[in-house]
Amino acid sequence: MKAVKKSSEIMRMLDERTLEINLPNKIGYERIAMECSSSFAKLVGFSRDRIDDLKTAVSEACLNAMEHGNRWRSDARVIITMNFENDTFSVSVEDEGEGILDMPDEPDIDRKLDLLQTPRGMGIYIIKQLVDEVELNQRTKQGHVLRMILRMTAK
Amino acid sequence: MQNQNEITFETRDMITIITINGDLTVVSEAPLKKAYNNANDCGVSKILLDFDPEAYINSGGIALIIQLLGEARKRNQMVGITGLSEHFKKVFSMVGVTKYARVYASVDEAIAAMSPAS
Repeated sequence: MKAVKKSSEIMRMLDERTLEINLPNKIGYERIAMECSSSFAKLVGFSRDRIDDLKTAVSEACLNAMEHGNRWRSDARVIITMNFENDTFSVSVEDEGEGILDMPDEPDIDRKLDLLQTPRGMGIYIIKQLVDEVELNQRTKQGHVLRMILRMTAK
Repeated sequence: MQNQNEITFETRDMITIITINGDLTVVSEAPLKKAYNNANDCGVSKILLDFDPEAYINSGGIALIIQLLGEARKRNQMVGITGLSEHFKKVFSMVGVTKYARVYASVDEAIAAMSPAS
């Protein structure tokens, strides 16, 4: 079984189209992934609007990985892989968890205000609204991957 | 690592403006609650949340706004929002916040719209 990656490298280019970021499982570090995704997307020519969508989606995916996938374990890592090819930007966020076993309900503001739904639990929904495709519960030897795809043209 | 918020409030034309300087995340919970509770101690009926257009906002922070809207609804308080970037106006609308808090282009526009004479 492949060992869980514990590399001290925060960031590396796997090839000229692919960037990998290895984050500690600590709130706040998702901002590194956000800024990297923003810079990469800007470099390849995405619009400001799409870059904002991407940054928020990356933030939510990383926070989900940290909280739900890795359960805030200080020894866990979140691996983000970004690739741009054929006008398509993909971001995979990998944690060491079991996947999304209990998909949260679609946010309902009325139910939230009536305390019938938690005020939280909106991350996956927001991601799905902001990117073109989302693949959930992809398994790897390390754990679980959430993959997001954005195309050059706006949704 | 997380930015600490400076959240302040002032009252203009009988509207309490809660200014959220910096990011809006779960870390904002304590200062936001404190500002809202302090405003309530002054007996407010209209609240304007004034955001930083450069702010990083995540779903944890939006959840705090939803909780505030719940409290405001119990107290029959009107809530307005201003200062959001176009992106976060879209996100707030996406999750339904704008159903209960109207978004204004500026503090002045909000005060004009929310003031007792309007």
